[in-house]
Amino acid sequence: MNMAQTHLHKVELLPKDYKTDTKPFWCPGCGDHGVLTAVYRALADLGVDPNYLVNISGIGCSSRLPYFVRSYKMHTLHGRAGAVATGTQLARPDLAILVNGGDGDGFSIGGGHMPHLARKNINMTYVLMDNRIYGLTKGQVSPTSQRKMKAYTTPYGGVEEPMDPVLYMLTYGASYVAQSLATDVKMTARLIKEGMEHKGFAFINVMSHCPSFNQIDDAKYFKGAAEELPEGHDVSDIDAAMHAVNVAHQEGRIPVGLLFRQERPTLDEYMAELVKQAGGSPDYDLRKIIDLARP
Amino acid sequence: MDKNDLIIRVAGEGGEGIISTGDFITQACARAGLEVYTFKTFPAEIKGGYAMYQTRASAAPLYCQGDTFDVLCAFNGEAYDLNRSRLIPGTAFVYDGPGGDFEPDVPPGVYAYPIPMTQTAKEMGSIRSKNMVALGALSQLFNIPEDALREIIVAKFTKKGTTVVEGNLNAFTRGRELAAALPKTDPWQIKAPESKRDVVVLSGNDAVGLGALIAGLEFFAAYPITPATEIARYVARHLPKRGGTLIQAEDEIAAVSQVVGASFAGKKAMTATSGPGLALMGEMLGMSFMSETPCVVVDVQRGGPSTGLPTKHEQSDLFLAIHGSHGDCGRIVLSVEGVGDCVGLTVEAFNLAEKYQCPVLLLSDGSLAFSTQTLPYPDPASYRVVSRKRWDGKGEYRRYAITDDYISPMADPGTPGGMHIATGLEHDQDGEPNYTAANHEAMQAKRFRKLDGVVKDFAPVETDGEGEADLGIIAWGSTIGVVREAIARLRAEGVSVKGFYPKLLWPMPAEQYEAFGATCRKLMLPEVNFTGQLAHFIRSETSLRPESYTICGGLPFTPAMIVGKAKEMLP
Ligand SMILES: Cc1ncc(C[n+]2csc(CCOP(=O)(O)OP(=O)(O)O)c2C)c(N)n1
Ligand code: SF4
Ligand SMILES: [Mg+2]
Repeated sequence: MNMAQTHLHKVELLPKDYKTDTKPFWCPGCGDHGVLTAVYRALADLGVDPNYLVNISGIGCSSRLPYFVRSYKMHTLHGRAGAVATGTQLARPDLAILVNGGDGDGFSIGGGHMPHLARKNINMTYVLMDNRIYGLTKGQVSPTSQRKMKAYTTPYGGVEEPMDPVLYMLTYGASYVAQSLATDVKMTARLIKEGMEHKGFAFINVMSHCPSFNQIDDAKYFKGAAEELPEGHDVSDIDAAMHAVNVAHQEGRIPVGLLFRQERPTLDEYMAELVKQAGGSPDYDLRKIIDLARP
Repeated sequence: MDKNDLIIRVAGEGGEGIISTGDFITQACARAGLEVYTFKTFPAEIKGGYAMYQTRASAAPLYCQGDTFDVLCAFNGEAYDLNRSRLIPGTAFVYDGPGGDFEPDVPPGVYAYPIPMTQTAKEMGSIRSKNMVALGALSQLFNIPEDALREIIVAKFTKKGTTVVEGNLNAFTRGRELAAALPKTDPWQIKAPESKRDVVVLSGNDAVGLGALIAGLEFFAAYPITPATEIARYVARHLPKRGGTLIQAEDEIAAVSQVVGASFAGKKAMTATSGPGLALMGEMLGMSFMSETPCVVVDVQRGGPSTGLPTKHEQSDLFLAIHGSHGDCGRIVLSVEGVGDCVGLTVEAFNLAEKYQCPVLLLSDGSLAFSTQTLPYPDPASYRVVSRKRWDGKGEYRRYAITDDYISPMADPGTPGGMHIATGLEHDQDGEPNYTAANHEAMQAKRFRKLDGVVKDFAPVETDGEGEADLGIIAWGSTIGVVREAIARLRAEGVSVKGFYPKLLWPMPAEQYEAFGATCRKLMLPEVNFTGQLAHFIRSETSLRPESYTICGGLPFTPAMIVGKAKEMLP
């Protein structure tokens, strides 16, 4: 969220004021409950006006989150949340855009969009709820599942190496990259809040366990593997961030906290500049354009 | 011979200035007050290959590219070989010689004018001015307005400096001199009309871009694809002036997703693509229909299936446009006849999308994309522009409220009290997921009943001719113009024939088809595809059984082909 614009729409609300009447449909013990609590807190801490908040998701268990958040919202197609949100954000840069989705949604079917959200620095906060499994379709391996995982379509164990979401997003040029655990509501809420304050594309990977279909990466596993970034980690140093993530990935650890942050213009800012240079305005006389087509 | 229209074809190697030569001729004719209708083919490859640009100019209205050329200007042997069969008695033939790469064997009855284009350009110090030598010769021989051409040359090359301007003008003058030295034996002449009308000259693709601007376009997203990319080029140049935003998407799925996202945000949004891109957009069209989010998609059809014939003409995306997406997914499909429609029906596409909150597809085609045509100056104020119905802020807001006309007012983000969800899941009137039988039936009925108004809203199908006829010809897209000309010729020969030109292809105005069919003894339906796609829909939606006449050679029909088929059907 671009603070310059959203401070216009600041309100004072409590976390519970962002709740809708719809009860979360997730299984008991699902990590997504924790992410939702963190979202409520982050929104209240920021004072986001729900009328100017657009919460957009794809398809999956995690993508149901917007139903539970008081806001304008879109529940789109599997993998397309980021692309739809791009249109909304560019069309209305005054809105705060929050995107949610799963690991399959963001990095399998929607994987083609991720590099472009990041490099174009679209001003939105993307909270990926990574349970390392396809939850909604009842437990198939995802791009983040550990190799050898036995699941619905891998009865002999999976044969593919997992990817590391934050490593990819750093490489793609995201201007804010963070990681946390769904069980650590406090840290998750802080990172989401900071992500929304950040001007540009903020990506937060939240390890959100799925007790129903992923018995390997359960809440306990994630807690054990999580590792705070070393004291003095320089969040403006992309090499340090990539190195930390790379080493951790190889050793099966999960670095948590803010990995990287960079200030740079967003796509809508570049566009606004371009429009300004063109003297752009809805009142610009169309006849001047049509006259160019006279023979 | 006194023909009131003239067709000049310039042909040669892509990169030799064929396209700009054709453009100069076209612009000069239009300046002189003539109607123009151009037709081009160029290679799919970037460098080299055969290119052709044909300009038809007339004082009377033009509806299509005609049958064949009256004048051929061949820059090389390949151009000669490819067009030799059309060098029929009475045509004029201007070619590069002596000193070119070929020695033509001029057929009897053809008026030949050898102009040493290559040799002269070399002598003048720049082989690149070869096309200017040709242009000069054509101008001299066929009375293409010299002053207009000189002005256009100056305007075109001024940026490159006075030496370049001078070089081109000199080559042009030399071309005129070379031609003046030859005896003029053919009857072909451009005749400029006395009075001039206020016109513009636009290609089909540029005209779509202009139509979108007139409609109030605010957001545009697209992924490059032949033959639709010029729409993005036009919009990219002009939309920022109007304060709008555009983005080159990473693929067509992203492009249409962005359009839906922008439309949800309250903006008028559009994407433009060709068949392969439309195929990728299918799922999101369903989302647009289900979530009732307005969305305009232009499909400039090309030869298919698969990668197909990227630069060639075909009308073969009708099945995809009407039914492409899973589930029962409604939409509105329009198709354009010519450049005028590219402006007017693009405006209409936005109007319908805004009013009915659904996907609207506008079909253009490969030959129209690049065809430049004159049209009366399109005064923006003369177009009706519609915006979506917005919630008045009274009472409790229900995004998908079932109203009398089944259209539910929308609320832009930021509207207090208007918070809602746009969802692809089946939902109730509040947007809450609901999969019960009763709800799904009620909501599908809502979304489809809403479209019942479309046929009434849209202008009635144009019928060419009155009363009973021996033959009725139904046509869509740019084939309509060809049929108009064919019908005029058939009538001149005393044949009893009528035309029917639908532009709203879906939902289908079935009653109007029936009414037309009832007045014709026989029906013909020419379309440029293999399977007879519109014929298929007519058979399924009406009792009519038109005789399909299909071709798919990458080129449009000619009036002569339609005349021939009509005579075959009416022995
Ligand atoms: C085009 C398409 N293909 C497949 C599906 C089926 N599908 C729904 S959710 C899902 C995977 C969900 O996994 P993830 O994105 O990780 O979300 P989670 O449920 O784990 O939160 C799949 C394959 C679909 N909805 N759409
Ligand atoms: S299936 Fe897994 S991810 Fe989905 S709600 Fe249940 S626990 Fe959560
Ligand atoms: Mg998942």
